[in-house]
Parts: sequence; C-alpha cells; structure tokens
Amino acid sequence: MTQDLQDLQEALFEQIIEARRDKAVELLDSVGAGKGFSYAVHEVLEPVLVEIGERWAKDKLSLAQGYVAGKVAEDILFKMAKASPQSDGEKKGPVVIGNIEDDHHALGRKMVAVFLAAAGWGVVDLGNDVPPIDFVDKAEELGARIIGVSAMMLTTAENIILVRQEIDRRGLSGRVQLAIGGAVINLRPELVDTVGGDGTCASAIQAPALFDILWARSLAVGEVSP
Amino acid sequence: MNSLDRVFAAVKGEPADRRAFSLVLSLYGAKLTGCSLSEYYSKPEAYLAGQRAVVDLVDPDILFTPFALTLEAQAFGCTLKHFDTAPPNVIRPACKGLNDLATLRAPDMAKDPGLRYLVESTRLLAREFGGEKPIAAVLTAPMDLPALLVTIGEWIEALLFNFEVRDELLGRASNHFVALASAMLEAGASFVATPAVFINPRFLTPGMVREHVVPPLSSAFSRVPGPIVFHHGGNPLAAHLDMFKTLPNVLGFALDHRDSFAEARAIVGDNPVLLGNLSGPHLPGLSPEGAYDRTQAILSEREADPRFIFCTSSADVPWSTPLETVKAVGRAVRDAGREMT
Repeated sequence: MTQDLQDLQEALFEQIIEARRDKAVELLDSVGAGKGFSYAVHEVLEPVLVEIGERWAKDKLSLAQGYVAGKVAEDILFKMAKASPQSDGEKKGPVVIGNIEDDHHALGRKMVAVFLAAAGWGVVDLGNDVPPIDFVDKAEELGARIIGVSAMMLTTAENIILVRQEIDRRGLSGRVQLAIGGAVINLRPELVDTVGGDGTCASAIQAPALFDILWARSLAVGEVSP
Repeated sequence: MNSLDRVFAAVKGEPADRRAFSLVLSLYGAKLTGCSLSEYYSKPEAYLAGQRAVVDLVDPDILFTPFALTLEAQAFGCTLKHFDTAPPNVIRPACKGLNDLATLRAPDMAKDPGLRYLVESTRLLAREFGGEKPIAAVLTAPMDLPALLVTIGEWIEALLFNFEVRDELLGRASNHFVALASAMLEAGASFVATPAVFINPRFLTPGMVREHVVPPLSSAFSRVPGPIVFHHGGNPLAAHLDMFKTLPNVLGFALDHRDSFAEARAIVGDNPVLLGNLSGPHLPGLSPEGAYDRTQAILSEREADPRFIFCTSSADVPWSTPLETVKAVGRAVRDAGREMT
C-alpha cells in the first residue's frame, strides 16, 4: 500500500470516528473526482469499514460512530450510482430483510441494508413490524436465498420463531437461510438456536460477511423440490 | 437502626449496624401477589400490595416506584404493549419521524392515567413505608426519553445531524423530567433514580457527550428539587464518570456489575454514594448458594467503602428469578453483619 493511500484511509477513519460525516464524504468525493468512485469505495472506504467493524465487534466504538460510517457509505454509494449509473456491476442476491412483527427499532436494520448494499447485495427492505409470513412470501417471490430478521427486544425476538416455522412449513429449509440480528441477539446469543436462526453477527458492518456465508450454504443445498 | 438510618449513614459515610442493601424488585411484587401486570401497572393500590410483599420477602432498605419508564412515553402518545411477565414496552413511537414532531402530545401530569399512576404509587409507598425506608422514584433520563418517542434510529439521526430537532426534543424531555421528578418528590419520594443510556460513550462519541449531553443534563438536574442517583442504564459507566461527577444534585451513581467500583471511587472522590454490584437480570441463573456467595464476595470487596450501598444493577430482577435466590441475597447481607465501625 502506498503512503498516500494509507494517509487517506487514516484521514477518513479519523473523520468517521469524530462523527464528521460531511468531512468524510468530502474526502471520498475528492478522491472519487481524481481517481474514480470505484477507487474511493474499494481502496479507501472499504478497508476503513473493515477496521471500524473490527473495533465495533470489540466494543471499542460507539453506536454513533458506526451509524456515521453507515451514512458515509450510503452517501458515497449514492454519488457513485449518480456519477455512473450503468456501472454498478453485477448485484449479489437478492436478499430480504426487515424488523419482525411488533418491532419498530429500525436503526440496526437500516445500517445492515446500507452495508449490504455497499458490498454489492441487492437488498429488499420490508421495513418495520413485518408479519412472519410476509418475509417468506417476498423471499419466494424474488427467489431470495436469505431472509434477514431484526429484533431489539426479547419479547419481539421470540416472534422470529414464526419465520423459521414458515420457512420449514414450505419446505424451504436450507434453501432459504435465516439471518437474525439485533441488540437482544447480541446480549443473548443462545437466542439464535432458540428462534431457529441460521446465523448472526455482532454488528451491521459484519453483515456482508455473514450473508456471503449463508448464500454459499444455500447454494450448497441447491433447489428444493416442492 | 431502621432502613432510613442505614441509608442516611451510607450517604454521610458514617457507621451502620450493617450494609444498606436493596434489590430492584419493582416488577417482582406482582409475581409475589399474583397480580396481572395490566392491573399492577395501572392501579397504585396493586403496586403497593406488591411492594408490601417485597418487604415481607426480603425487607430491602430502599423501595422503588414502578420501574415502568414507558408509561412516560405513553403520555406523549406512544403505543405500549403489555406482557405477562415483563413491564410494558413501546410498540409504536409517538411520531413517525423527525418531521412529525407536531403530533407529539404534551403530557398532562394531572390527567394522564400513566403519570397519575406513577405519582400516586409514590404517594402510597411513602405513606406506608416512608418513615422507615427511602423511596426511589424511577424516571426516564431527559436524553433517553426522545429515543422512546421517535425511535433510537431517529434520535441518533437528530443527535448527529439535526440540532434544531435535537434541542426541541431535549427541551420537551427535560421539562417533563423536572415536572415528574418534582411531583414524585412532592408525593414523598426520597430521591430520583434515573437510568441513562444516551449519555454513554458506547452510544455517542466522548465529544458529543461532553458538548451536547452534559450541559442539558446539568440544566435539567439543577431544576429538580431533590437528590438524584445517576444510573448506568445497562452499560459500564465507571471509566466515564469524570464527565458526570459535577452534575448538580447528584447524590450517587448506580453502576453496572461489570464496572470497577474501585476505579469509580477513585474518579468521583469520597463523597458520592456508589450503588451496585450484582446484576439483576442475571439473577435467574444463580442458585441461592451462588447468589449468597456472590453477595458476600461483593460486600467483602467493598468492605472499606462506607458510602457503598449493595444493590442489583440494570433493570428489574426478572420474573423468573426463584424466591429462594432473592432471599439468599438478603440473608447474605444480614449474615455479613456489621462491617463499618
């Protein structure tokens, strides 16, 4: 890595952890103008997001800092798409995400959507308070192999079991992987098994890596005959 | 000594017959009386009966008013969902987003059923127990109420990027905090205990806390006509206490079970009371023997600190906690006997 690139990454990291969204985007913007948005995203932003993700997982970063990282990624992806709408390449997915029925805590889910999109996933976000059956209906309709369900509280996390049951009832087990996340899942990891999740991760920044694993697992299962 | 004497001794750093202690058994009273939670969290008499049962069970030195912070959110227009074994939770925020603040209801302390319930429960508790036990009025911190009203995501957005909305929400939340604290203190509460989440560097950057959290908190606290216990809100707080140690009217700090009380004491100095250090939400996983041993170990570790009060941390002691485990904590405190001479 050149010294210039390292300096850019360090400068971006500094802006994000100081919650200076505008300055961070300005920096990426200027890199994009000189070397292209692809360079700004893949060479400058992505390594910084990896570093932020690692610190977040170790509890060394605040929610606000993680949120700003997501907003910066969102801003620069939007600019990239606007600058060259034809060059967004081949999307992975699609995947379906949403907050489980009765859950209205959208923050984590929105951050997951941003980081998945930054990693090239086609994300269909069903929003808050989604009935279990709607997750599976939409996944079947789109041919999605991953459903991501978020819940913040224990009382709503328990509703995820109904998504598991619906996936199984339709014979989609394995073919459709169930990713789960949210504050209560981080606090009580045993809930992954309790509610029948196929995987989880500690922060939104780690969601792309989890979805890569789950997608590969689904492909290994292949198609399921009705 | 009665409980009041014991707690005041801790506040003054004076000798006591034994360590003052409490468990957050607000919810647990309903389990002891077999009361449905919809009734428990709406009828002050039912709450009082539950706390009478708590006193019969373990006789803690401090009693708590209903730990049902979402009743405050309901007064602003949030929709709550009630559960069989847990306090009510916000299921729909009071408004759809930061552009929808006009739909926020202005709470009316005299008419809102939830707020009247909180104040009246305080009054009944104080009337029956106030002469012998301190009553802690549990209130939502001004920095946290907006997260209930507009969701955590919108509140983070306002804190980071929309300062006009941030200040408006904080102003409303602070006024409500002062009004409810004043009403509960007037009804007989001995002090206010306020769990605070959006004050912690796990949620905000240290710069945001210093610049945008401490000044409005300081302003709100200075308007409260009584002492305040600043509660960790479920996150480790000790390492950050330098930012909060000069807040006005703060009598003490309730810390997380993961906190180092020695570190906290070194930061805040000799005077504030420190409360903790047994995790309430983890009590169901402890056997009575385990709870007894853990309690004694904590008491032993804090033996030399006269301004330490043993208490469970975080939220309510869960419904599923066996009675014997709760009783074992009280027994361990009493068995430890006189510790300060």
